Amino acid sequence: MIQNKYSFIALIIFLFVGPFLFPNATITEMLIFGIVAISTNIMLGYTGMLSFGQALFFGTSAYISGLMLLGGFPLFLAIPVATLGSFIISLFVGYFCVKREGLYFICLTFAFNQMFYFIAYVWTEVTGGEDGLVGVERPTYIDSQLTFYIFTAIMFLLAVLALYKIVTSPLGLIFKLIRENASRAEAIGYNVRYYKLISFSIASTFTGLAGSLYVLIHSMVPIDQIHWLKSGDIIFMTLFGGVGSFLGPLIGVVGYIWLSDTFSIIWARWPLIMGVIFAIVVLYFRGGMSELLENLFKKYKAISRKTEHEQDIKNTKLN
Amino acid sequence: MTFLIISQILNGLGLGMLYALVGVGLTLILGVLNIPNFAHGVLYALGAYFAYTIAKITGSFYFAMFLSPLLVVLVGFILESQGVRRLYHAHHDYQLLFLFACALIIQEIIIIFWGPIGFSLLAPPSLSGAIDLGFLIYPKYRLVLICFAFFMIICLYLFLTKTNLGAILRAGIENRDMVKVLGINVNMVFLYTFGLGAYLAGLAGALSAPIMGLTPSMGLDILPICFVVVVVAGLGSIPGAIIAGILIGLSQGAATIWFPEATNVVIYVMMGLTIIFRPQGLFGVR
Repeated sequence: MIQNKYSFIALIIFLFVGPFLFPNATITEMLIFGIVAISTNIMLGYTGMLSFGQALFFGTSAYISGLMLLGGFPLFLAIPVATLGSFIISLFVGYFCVKREGLYFICLTFAFNQMFYFIAYVWTEVTGGEDGLVGVERPTYIDSQLTFYIFTAIMFLLAVLALYKIVTSPLGLIFKLIRENASRAEAIGYNVRYYKLISFSIASTFTGLAGSLYVLIHSMVPIDQIHWLKSGDIIFMTLFGGVGSFLGPLIGVVGYIWLSDTFSIIWARWPLIMGVIFAIVVLYFRGGMSELLENLFKKYKAISRKTEHEQDIKNTKLN
Repeated sequence: MTFLIISQILNGLGLGMLYALVGVGLTLILGVLNIPNFAHGVLYALGAYFAYTIAKITGSFYFAMFLSPLLVVLVGFILESQGVRRLYHAHHDYQLLFLFACALIIQEIIIIFWGPIGFSLLAPPSLSGAIDLGFLIYPKYRLVLICFAFFMIICLYLFLTKTNLGAILRAGIENRDMVKVLGINVNMVFLYTFGLGAYLAGLAGALSAPIMGLTPSMGLDILPICFVVVVVAGLGSIPGAIIAGILIGLSQGAATIWFPEATNVVIYVMMGLTIIFRPQGLFGVR
């Protein structure tokens, strides 16, 4: 609990300092993918389901909100409709996916992702096909960099608080129970499949919310936002940050976006470097950055406690 | 019209044979090692690119077809022994993610070595041109491809059912722990399985090169199709993967006749129908 307090303070500080550290497009992208990673972690870290199809919800919702904005609807209608849309799709896709476990679940989410990709690819009149959906304009009241940042930050905070409420509620405990021992959960009387579907839908709906905001950054939806490689990126961000803690994935997002921005300027083949980092994280740092930081923190505490202790001994000797 | 239909069905059959080869490779790895091999697509692409380079250097198409899948096996061995094996004690999600990372790395290496532009590998003079079947004039290479892939599938079937190692692999799919208990070196089995899967992927890639050409994204494009093959077949069923691969190829061929723009969507429609009417897959038991 205390650790959570610290990390929330750190989060608030980050929200104030972030805009001075990164360009506007980068920091808003970090916050948006922050929602994605933290919500994906509900499914991956808390419930223990690896879905390889999160880009489906991100992309679809970005398309819905982009199309609504193009159609002249106000933003405050576009975001809820897009989020609701990804909720409904997540119930539909999730219904088929949670029927199966483990590997089959991964294969199914992956294949569904590609199914929606090809729908977006073929349906050129609506989605713009390979060129993506272009020409979406930001409403005038969030047109400046500052107002857009404040808007994204507020959406981000609201989403994070909602997710935190879910994780700390009894529902969150059931998710953890399913991760630890699904058959025991079943034996106690929980309908595991039903709760898996809930977990899947929560993650996907918030991912959809993030997708509906994403369209505002560059005023367009590139088609690769719905490609399965994006799903891989989302998993990587979450894992890079660490699935062990609530806010851990956010560290992964900040790290991932910062690294990919930096490398993409230096070398056109930057995904190679990201792949190598990914492999190293999987091989050696499965806890991600947050565990690494936590260990450092613990070590620091242990050292300071040790010096305190030595000080105490010295003091007693003097007396 | 009948010519068109027959030739499209033959085209679909050829595609389906390729899908069956990659699909079986993926099924083997999935069944024995319990990981969806996300590097399968790039192994397929490597097969094609190796074949291209070997054919360019030696000038022999047949030698390229022979050697390039073996080189892919080598890559598969490295992936398994250096990466996947270290992760056996971890959850198998991490093996999957490791292979995904490898897929990204190999994908970029392909672009670095061969450039972002596509190539075409021409079939040798003895296999190019068309053949008159009496009722239809059809490209010779595609026909040879169908026969050869069919021959490879028969070989694979005989290997899996008639040899000792094949029996061990099948037993590994049925019950991995029991194989371990019977005193079989599981690490070796895993290595061979991964190698065999990589061989099939590489072979399919090399065979596909004269038909579909080489593009850096070919590995990323084939991977979802492999997964659809596995889902339609039912997890871990080898005959299922063969039949599902051929069915998907045929349906793509048929879609080319009537809805040319929907050729890529039709495979997902097939998957959708399968999971609605037969959620365990055509040949799945679990």
